[in-house]
Amino acid sequence: MSARAEETESKENAEFRREVRAWIEANKPSHPGFKLPQSFLEVESERQFTFLRDWQRKVFDAGYLGLDWPAEYGGKGDPHKRQRIVSQEISRASAPFLVNVIGLQWAGPTILAYGTEEQKKRYLKPILSAEEIWCQGFSEPGAGSDLASLTATAEPTDDGWVVTGHKVWTTLAHFASWMILLARTDSQAHKYAGISYFLFPMDAPGVTVQPLVKMTGEGGFNQVIFDRAPMKKSALLGQLGQGWQIAMTTLTFERGAAEGTGGGSATPSESSVRAVAQLAKRVRREGRPAADDPVIRDRLAQLWITEEALRLTGQRARTAGLNMEDRPLATRLMNKVVYSELGQQLTELACEALGPDAGLWLGDPCAPDKAEWPRAYMNSFGVTIGGGTSEVQRNIIGERVLGLPKTK
Amino acid sequence: MRIEVPTDFGYTDEHGLLRGEARRFLNERLPMQELRKRADAGVAFDRGLWKEIAQLGWVGLVLPEAHGGAGLGWLHLEILLEEMGRRLVPGPFLGSLLAGVALVEGASDAQRARWLPGIASGDLVATAAVVDAAGAFEARDVASTAEPVEGGWLLRGRKTHVVGGADAGLVIAPFREPSGAVSLFGVDLPAAGVCAEAETCIDPTRPTARVAFDGVRVGADAKLAGDAGAAWRAMLVRGFAALAAESVGGAESVLLTTRDYAVARKQFDRQIGFFQAVKFPIVDMMCGVELARSLAVGAASALDQRAACAETLARMAKAQASDVFANAVRKGVQLHGGYGFTWDCDVHFYFRRAMWSRAMLGDAIHHRRWLAASLFEG
Ligand SMILES: Cc1cc2nc3c(=O)[nH]c(=O)nc-3n(C[C@H](O)[C@H](O)[C@H](O)COP(=O)(O)OP(=O)(O)OC[C@H]3O[C@@H](n4cnc5c(N)ncnc54)[C@H](O)[C@@H]3O)c2cc1C
Repeated sequence: MSARAEETESKENAEFRREVRAWIEANKPSHPGFKLPQSFLEVESERQFTFLRDWQRKVFDAGYLGLDWPAEYGGKGDPHKRQRIVSQEISRASAPFLVNVIGLQWAGPTILAYGTEEQKKRYLKPILSAEEIWCQGFSEPGAGSDLASLTATAEPTDDGWVVTGHKVWTTLAHFASWMILLARTDSQAHKYAGISYFLFPMDAPGVTVQPLVKMTGEGGFNQVIFDRAPMKKSALLGQLGQGWQIAMTTLTFERGAAEGTGGGSATPSESSVRAVAQLAKRVRREGRPAADDPVIRDRLAQLWITEEALRLTGQRARTAGLNMEDRPLATRLMNKVVYSELGQQLTELACEALGPDAGLWLGDPCAPDKAEWPRAYMNSFGVTIGGGTSEVQRNIIGERVLGLPKTK
Repeated sequence: MRIEVPTDFGYTDEHGLLRGEARRFLNERLPMQELRKRADAGVAFDRGLWKEIAQLGWVGLVLPEAHGGAGLGWLHLEILLEEMGRRLVPGPFLGSLLAGVALVEGASDAQRARWLPGIASGDLVATAAVVDAAGAFEARDVASTAEPVEGGWLLRGRKTHVVGGADAGLVIAPFREPSGAVSLFGVDLPAAGVCAEAETCIDPTRPTARVAFDGVRVGADAKLAGDAGAAWRAMLVRGFAALAAESVGGAESVLLTTRDYAVARKQFDRQIGFFQAVKFPIVDMMCGVELARSLAVGAASALDQRAACAETLARMAKAQASDVFANAVRKGVQLHGGYGFTWDCDVHFYFRRAMWSRAMLGDAIHHRRWLAASLFEG
């Protein structure tokens, strides 16, 4: 059988891994019988959401979330940084992902880095327990890749601000209690200097959340309209005008550059090459198992190489001397591009393995694996576009790592 | 199969020291003008340089201390070969390395004592004749024959692309016995019946030769005493890892050169690196190099651990590094424009190295075929 990617680890960690593995096996919920989202990007119905929130709650109650976060904010203050192990085991067991991804992976770590004592005490624990879901209000219709051109404004009032503007592609906004929000607080200042970072309450008056339909036909993201929606003074994170800098920190977490800080992970199973190999053995192309097709074999072998290389690169990024002194940022910044494009190539190859059955869609009784592969292929574009497109990531690598001239 | 390498790959400060030392030495001793001089003069092998790097401990780096080697591991070698690949170090290093491995893995103590110290000291240039008839190199494809005769063996066959074959004093090569079993033989050169003819190699820094064995009589002690199948496989796997590491170094060099050119060269009043049609291929080159490097380092670490996954990782590394190096030179030439098409531009030296190294010991197509079998049927 194919390689099981795993590092040799300390006795202590190996023991912890075994413990977590056993716990997940014993506690992971069975399939609820309705369609589940493939990732946190397409949670559309109340029952999907409840199912996922209950699971995160269970993981938290068992003590397997917030391991790396300080104990005074609901975490475990684990000195061994073992949250990564839990995330890996969740993927390995194909257990459901932890739905509060934006809270766990980007809002939480950002609050830890920039929040006041009060903010950390207030917000972190409910992130872990999934009592409060978070969403991210960065993108706008006119400000995507060029995020700093955003125009939503926060006007000061006596006891805080009122927000006016329009955010789009806001994942999970329909279930969120809070939003990490970028808004302009100084229209005179330079593009980057006029932005501030807020922790915005989604139940404020003047907020309208409108679901958007994805190319798969599913819901999951939204547009959010703010019409003089009020928030308190305490909503500000960091300093006034520091928003751009803080946003860059959030994006670093989001793009996986600061690995292992999150409270959990939604990353799909690291054995996805194996999953496609299994699929190719099961399905037939032109009357023969797809696994017999030399082209399918060659291409899947290449993706296996990439998958393994990516895993080893993550491991190398944690080893000082082997992170290559010449280019210390490289291995971290390239992660998102390689990872998301690998996912896309894998799911596309899976569709090709299906032969004509790749033409069947969700709901068809004869669709192999209930059409999860074509669905996954379409959804893979959420990852090459969301969180900074592959193109923008390549600009960043070229400029920040290789010193090439700035494109803009 | 589990792919296991230690979290830190077994990396220590000592590895970093070797990298620094190698880089310093090669920057001083083998600047590009020096390499060009040799290429123009048609000198791919220089005994003086060979002795120098032997004295640095490089030729015997992974050979046992008991036989004059440095007794270091494959991660050390990975790092050294990356540096050597960056500088296109000319000479028969690869051949010598493979011969040494074959002896370590498949020879008797007496045979090791006879040959290894000379190899490590640089006095004996050794090589392994890996490529048999029709370009095949895996043990099952060996067509050359060994016929038992009074007091020894009679060897017949043709080997090609033998690195350092025309300069070697020892060649290790596989021959098939009448029973069908493949054995390894060590043949001291020159020898009656052995004709080593220098090839015109696409890479002027690689001295290669066609070596014909036209009924060569060798003594019984020429046959390596150990398990030939295991030794051959061990040698190949290490060869995959070694060529991968060297190719990573070569690709790294092309990446840096191309990056520098994209920063320096201006057209349309801009540095050409501003254009994304120039920028993105360079970024992809870098991502490719880093991925290949991770595999090369992973394979080396697995070899150090004698882990079962070493062969898988070494083949992955060879496949990836071959393609990454080939892609780097393809883009490297293109992005240098007309200058890139000239003899004056250094990139073609790397182009030649990439062409040779990809073709040798299995290209990506070859290794992916093996990997697919392991993925689907393994
Ligand atoms: C599934 C999904 C979930 C998302 N969730 C959220 C969320 O929760 N919160 C949030 O704030 N945002 C979210 N986003 C938004 C996402 O961050 C943006 O879509 C993304 O940054 C791109 O912006 P855009 O859509 O405006 O595209 P544009 O910026 O208009 O890009 C269009 C095309 O032009 C290319 N392009 C643009 N600029 C350059 C350049 N300089 N060089 C080369 N190419 C360029 C892009 O790569 C792209 O191919 C989500 C997006 C998706 C797809």
